[in-house]
Amino acid sequence: MTKAMTKKAGAVMVVGGGVAGVQAALDLTELGYYVYLVEKAAAIGGAMAMLDKTFPTNDCSL
Amino acid sequence: MVEAGRSPNIKILSNTDFLKLSGKPGDFTAKLRVRPRYIDHDKCTACGMCTQYCPRHLVDGYNEGLALTRPIHIDYPQAVPASYFIDPEACLHLKHGTCKICVSACQARAIDFDQQPEEMDLKVGAVVMAPGFGRVPDSALDKYSYGKHPDVVTSLEFERLLCASGPFEGELLRLSDRQHPKNLAFIQCVGSRDLGCDNGYCSSVCCMYAIKEAMVAKEHEPEIAITIYYMDMRTQGKGFDAARARAEAMGIKFVRARVADVMPWGNQLKLTFATMDGSHYFEAYDMVVLSVGLDSPADAANLADSAGFALNDYNFCRTSTFAPLQSSQEGVLVAGAFQGPKDIPESVTQSSAAAGLVSALTKKDRGKGYVVKSYPDEQQLTDDDEVRIGVFVCHCGVNIAGVVDVPDVDQYVEGMEGVVYHAQSLYSCSQDAQEVLKQKIKEHNLNRVVIAACSPRTHEPLFQETLKDAGLNRCLIEMVNIRDQCSWVHANEPAAATSKSKDLVRMGIAKARHIKPLPEQTVPVIDKALVLGGGIAGLTAALNLAEQGYATALVEKEAQLGGHLQEARYTLRGEEVAKTLKGLIDQVNKHKNIKVFTDTELVQLNGYVGNFSSQLKSRKGKGQESTIDHGVVVVATGGREHRPEKVLDSPVKYSAKVVTQRELEQRLAGKAKNRAPGSVVMIQCAGSRGDDLGYCSKNCCNDAVKNALKIKEINPESQVIVLYRDLRTYGYAEDYYRRAREQGVLFIPYSMDNKPRLTAGGKAPKVGFYDPLLREEVNLSPDLLVLSTGIVPDDTATLSRLLKVSVNEDKFYLEAHVKLRPVELPVSGAYVCGLAHSPQPVEEIIVQAQAAAAKAAIPLVKGYVSVEPTVSSVDQSACIGCGLCEALCPYQAIRMHKDENNKRKAETVTASCKGCGICAAHCPVFAISMGGFTDEQITAQITAFGQQ
Amino acid sequence: MAQEDFNPRILGFLCNWCCYAAADSAGVSRYQYPPNLRTIRIMCTGRLDPAFVFRGFAEGADGIFTGG
Repeated sequence: MTKAMTKKAGAVMVVGGGVAGVQAALDLTELGYYVYLVEKAAAIGGAMAMLDKTFPTNDCSL
Repeated sequence: MVEAGRSPNIKILSNTDFLKLSGKPGDFTAKLRVRPRYIDHDKCTACGMCTQYCPRHLVDGYNEGLALTRPIHIDYPQAVPASYFIDPEACLHLKHGTCKICVSACQARAIDFDQQPEEMDLKVGAVVMAPGFGRVPDSALDKYSYGKHPDVVTSLEFERLLCASGPFEGELLRLSDRQHPKNLAFIQCVGSRDLGCDNGYCSSVCCMYAIKEAMVAKEHEPEIAITIYYMDMRTQGKGFDAARARAEAMGIKFVRARVADVMPWGNQLKLTFATMDGSHYFEAYDMVVLSVGLDSPADAANLADSAGFALNDYNFCRTSTFAPLQSSQEGVLVAGAFQGPKDIPESVTQSSAAAGLVSALTKKDRGKGYVVKSYPDEQQLTDDDEVRIGVFVCHCGVNIAGVVDVPDVDQYVEGMEGVVYHAQSLYSCSQDAQEVLKQKIKEHNLNRVVIAACSPRTHEPLFQETLKDAGLNRCLIEMVNIRDQCSWVHANEPAAATSKSKDLVRMGIAKARHIKPLPEQTVPVIDKALVLGGGIAGLTAALNLAEQGYATALVEKEAQLGGHLQEARYTLRGEEVAKTLKGLIDQVNKHKNIKVFTDTELVQLNGYVGNFSSQLKSRKGKGQESTIDHGVVVVATGGREHRPEKVLDSPVKYSAKVVTQRELEQRLAGKAKNRAPGSVVMIQCAGSRGDDLGYCSKNCCNDAVKNALKIKEINPESQVIVLYRDLRTYGYAEDYYRRAREQGVLFIPYSMDNKPRLTAGGKAPKVGFYDPLLREEVNLSPDLLVLSTGIVPDDTATLSRLLKVSVNEDKFYLEAHVKLRPVELPVSGAYVCGLAHSPQPVEEIIVQAQAAAAKAAIPLVKGYVSVEPTVSSVDQSACIGCGLCEALCPYQAIRMHKDENNKRKAETVTASCKGCGICAAHCPVFAISMGGFTDEQITAQITAFGQQ
Repeated sequence: MAQEDFNPRILGFLCNWCCYAAADSAGVSRYQYPPNLRTIRIMCTGRLDPAFVFRGFAEGADGIFTGG
């Protein structure tokens, strides 16, 4: 069954919910767009969510 | 991430496949399929009861298969969306029609096995592809005994082993016998720079994460011996070489060698390797970590097919040097690792840039689909209202609770004045915890919230947002830092850390009793931009801003646009520079939204975000001045090739026989007969990485390879020798490095203990160096000596003073935050990109300029900026008009005015106020109050400090 | 009192932008230091009214630390 989403103009699709996708989605909303963030896994976060720390400052990654 | 989960303008479609894109830019239709979670997202409370009851075990993919979970589960507690899901491939009911224990275990009645896959069509104007990266094939790991021996792990598995939320809760143990390893080896370039698995490129991140993981492992196990086997350490980013030096100082060993194989050897692993001189050695290790590269995503071909764009030879998205984020399908942009392997900050920069490009592409539809978030009416609070404080003490997994006795701290606040509710929270920043917070505020009618968790510097905005959602003024929160400034720094003193936490919480509660709601303030923004610098960065930024619809002034001090890229001739990929640059300049000159000022300098810049006023002065004629009012400013003042007078301790005289890489490039692009002579020696890091400049210039290795290939193309007989320290042809540039080697270019490494000796003056340059392969000194008199001299920023001293921002020790501008805000300057409304930011290749400059333009457009799109409520305010009746505050304010944020009785009074210029409080501390009559930091509040904290 | 028995209570006033941030990053890099400090975050040490220092001593602080 196909359900049509009758979203008005001004929407953008971001494919991938990792750090790049999430950042793109956030910036797009700041620029006035509505964003569909499409992620094939059950939760967004991608590989970044698996990292404990980040280089070179070893900050927490989440 | 949580931010994305909360935004009313982001619809997260997880468990969803993208099937097909049709239509055209501005009017695409995307077909999607949402797979069932079998759990009603709205009902699931993420309590975890179902996982406890689920009878079946399942290997936990989130923990890289190192732990077990159940078919019904959530990957990690902070997941967004924070609801559980059922893996249909493992669930007993979905596979075999049995079980269904979870249905009765779930008290929220959220489990719904009737859910069906659902297809939907979305109308979208543009698409950003950010599917990330995939895994390198297991076949590339075979020769290292991966899969055959449990103590050979990938770097990602090792990451999970080190992580507090990982399978051993952060303890470093061997998988074979649960013993602490005594020594450990990292093998670099596994599945990268390896044609054996068709991954000829460099993954650009493995050197960094290996150093990081080695350092973290060393922190966990100070006694452990760690060796990193590498070919080139490609730590070219800002501050990366310094991190490598820190790792070396910690005792981590770096060995330049190729590892042939890893074999089980007793209860250890035998690692065989060959060093640069061709000798073979072996060494035994308790554990081996494979630094696996980033492969293209498994569904890359599918995605490309569905959306109609092309892939490159390695199955990543195909783009070009001058349009790095544009896929071959118009309206489909790419960002992150799918564009090419890269690290997090660079991915994030690309994402911002892609957002800006979308904004330019579909500007006519901007705002049409935008949902303005509404908050419940703010609960009015008067001084007479009873103080009702809720205290939430966070475990932060084991980050806090592993040291601090959290239940004890929680119990401690019981009965304190004003505290009507207190509770513990596993991760107070998670989405479900925000829901709990909202609920508790309502349930207990809380009007102040104390969160004892991490730093307000990172997490206060999140909690403030939740307060607004709960109908409270966002300033009615006080965060107590018991993680960054307590559990993390007193890891070995749990009792003392607990007692410190109690003190800090008591002081926080004391302050909370006195916190008051503060009004939200906004400042209007002039919707114009100023871009400083007319090189590739400035041109790109100006064009993007103009295409997004904003009037932009572009200021260039030289007579011509184009900057130092005018001196370049061709790119590593062989693209011609001049034509593209000219096209860009023409576009900028013709654009109706851009006003170009050449031969012009900025002489003054006043104002603040949204309301800048700049004075420009022509460098020609009478030096005509003009004033520009603008809301934002982008700094793109560029850089140029360095020209050191001394290289590797030898004085240099540039001549026809001693040239820089840029000079060589120009010569090779020319027509002179002898432009590619018979013998050429190139010296890398001739000025960079501690020779003269402290940093890696990031371009010179690519330039050397590019020019070496050109020489070979013109004169295949020419002998080209490149003397280098680490050859940093990261990403796809590795292909050209390999090609150069195939064509006979000799790459010979040197170390800083044994530098090449140069006679780099006059007509007969000479080079002497040690050849590790021949194991002897070699002396040459090449026809041409080429110095890879690196990059320096153009004058940043004057402008940094005008802008009141700082530069780092290398004279590049200091960004607001290296990872989170890489293109923003610390002054609000000011952005930086290109070589003024850091040395980088042209492709990265373009992305960064697009990102800066995207970020700069945000206040222009909004039309206003919000000001933090923590600014000063002057009690007009108490002010005696002495003017001390105006004189002391470092930001010109207080000015004197006359009131209705013609008395001198001070007033705050809200948009300029940084909330420092110098005025309040000096006001002789205590007429100035600092939002969120009043005398009353601070005094209450000090008093509470005394009540131990 | 023997030197080793002295366990001072120190009250700190930390600037949000520098010293408080530095204390955060000390935590991030797991620097270990003695647990004697109790901190108050202010937005700038310019906010530090001398009266706060006197008050701190009066409340029993053995030392006052300011960082900014």
